[in-house]
Amino acid sequence: MPTAVLDGFLEATVRSATPLAFAALGELVAERSGVMNIGLEGAIAAGALAAFLGAQIAGPEIGFVAGGVAGALVAAVFAFFVLALRSQQIIVGAAVSMLGIGLSASIHRAMVSAGASTAQVQTLASLPVPGLSTLPVVGDALFAQPISTYLLYFLFPLTGWVLYHTVFGVALRATGERPLAVVAAGHSAAKIQLAALIFGGVLAGLGGATLVVAQTGTFSDGMSAGRGFIAIAIVALGRWTPRGVVVGVLVFGAVSALQFLAQAMAWNVPYTLVLASPYVLTLAAMAIFRGSRTAPAALGQPLDGGL
Amino acid sequence: MFTKRAKTLPDNVFRLLNARIVFQLATLFAVCWLQQACGGKSRGEATDFRVALLTPGPISDQAWNGGAYNGLLRTRDSLGAKISHIQVKTPSDFEENFRQYGASGYSLVIGHGFEFQDAAARVAPDYPNTVYVTTGGETVRPNVAALSFAFDEPSFLAGMVAASVSRSGVVACIGGTELPPVKASFEAFTAGVHAIKPAAQVIVTYVGNWDDMGAGKEQALALIQRGADVIFQNADAAGLGVFQAAKERLGIFVIGSNSNQNEIAPAAVLGSVVIDLPHAFLLVAREVQSGTFTGRVIRFGTRDNVVRWEPSVLLGRRAVARDLQRVDSVQAMMRAGAFARPITGARP
Repeated sequence: MPTAVLDGFLEATVRSATPLAFAALGELVAERSGVMNIGLEGAIAAGALAAFLGAQIAGPEIGFVAGGVAGALVAAVFAFFVLALRSQQIIVGAAVSMLGIGLSASIHRAMVSAGASTAQVQTLASLPVPGLSTLPVVGDALFAQPISTYLLYFLFPLTGWVLYHTVFGVALRATGERPLAVVAAGHSAAKIQLAALIFGGVLAGLGGATLVVAQTGTFSDGMSAGRGFIAIAIVALGRWTPRGVVVGVLVFGAVSALQFLAQAMAWNVPYTLVLASPYVLTLAAMAIFRGSRTAPAALGQPLDGGL
Repeated sequence: MFTKRAKTLPDNVFRLLNARIVFQLATLFAVCWLQQACGGKSRGEATDFRVALLTPGPISDQAWNGGAYNGLLRTRDSLGAKISHIQVKTPSDFEENFRQYGASGYSLVIGHGFEFQDAAARVAPDYPNTVYVTTGGETVRPNVAALSFAFDEPSFLAGMVAASVSRSGVVACIGGTELPPVKASFEAFTAGVHAIKPAAQVIVTYVGNWDDMGAGKEQALALIQRGADVIFQNADAAGLGVFQAAKERLGIFVIGSNSNQNEIAPAAVLGSVVIDLPHAFLLVAREVQSGTFTGRVIRFGTRDNVVRWEPSVLLGRRAVARDLQRVDSVQAMMRAGAFARPITGARP
């Protein structure tokens, strides 16, 4: 591969991976606490719209933050049903997913009809890191990105550290395995799950926000385009560890970048086949890695009455 | 005593569970209803003449769907129609909503796309008092008409312009999915490119959907990396990402589709291949209102100016003057109906 093409491919990989990385890291934490939040797609859509509105009013930085807030609100709706009402996680997740997508589309539509929406917002500028961005091969791809991407470089190690090296992290992981033991140790399983869910919502919202303020500079219904569900698959693919998730998002980013490249290079492959490749890859990976590390034991199970 | 307790306890649990499931289902339905209700807004004064529009994508796309919504508004403003719009996703949605509007006595229901024609043909016999119109396609019934646009003509002109502006000799197309009208438009575009620069390379790509703006932008960036410097987009909302990519790179130009997209990125757009959907919708709505409608394929082209090439202000500064004169003369021939079609492939 010529260098320019390789550079373009790596940059596209990182850009495609960024929104997935936010969402998947959030989902990882939620799932390690025992909650399967399939409402992620709704939080991404809400985050994207909030980022668009925030950026219109106060610039892309505020838009980015607004995306996180909107994601947290969507996650709070999910948490209310799952933790306070002890509802089935999958059912609530499906409903919240539709709520987030439908509500953001409806709000945007109302704004467009009222002529209150400008078409374009400013995007976050890319900030090359002095020194690092001139590294061969990976310099531009990793270190000439908007600030939102750099945030991930801190969030992943930080999340790993909290999960594995703090009391809270141990309690969180234990909640996903044996919530009764956590309660016996004097913690509140519900509070831990609430914290994990809100964290997951904030990150999903930020993932949606990057689509708007770091990439396209505008909003459209359905622009989340299934990324929430891919993020859920990535968590399973990454065997519920931060490192695994990093690998998962990069693989997905690379496959997406490859399908853009394949079409641009006019390689003689049917485009529909190329577009299907990320999903084929997920299924293949699930089959290959089956059983090598199982999901949290209590994943998806509602807490018992007394917890 | 004990037996009674043993019976009532699971009973209560069951009742509780049921209440919970009922509550969850209610939430689910409420959400669905909300989507439907907000999607299908009705406006305007109560009249007998009611027009409905089904779009396959969001009306905020500033392209195919946005243009159709403007057409719907035109029937309200010019003919006093009571209007309704709904966004639909799957073929079963097409048919279900066609039936809903037929059953509620709408006079005219427009399915905005080639892909609506099968659903229209199936539903139309059950609602003979409703006229179904699809934008694109060839399917005709007594109460079904198809609007056919010679989108290939201005696409050919766009190809000539692209070839004239391109310095790299590589130009590209980005479509949503490989629908026959889109494919035909890209083929005409390619023929137009080769009319000016026979050696130029045309790369045709598809995003795979019409919504994912991030993917539209990435596809554009990959093409730019490959050397393409003029991109003809026909991907609706996903296509908005193509304009964003052009804004971020110097010397990259975009040609818009369906609506006039010249203002989306004034520094990068050479022009738009426009379908005047308000004009076409108004024409057919007038026929339905006055009772003169007959089911047929209604053709529009450069000749009646419903389908046209709209150059941007930027174009005059970027293209070779001699090439633009050729574009003008080909356009004049198309208007006169004297242009021998060099265009292969299916007509939209």
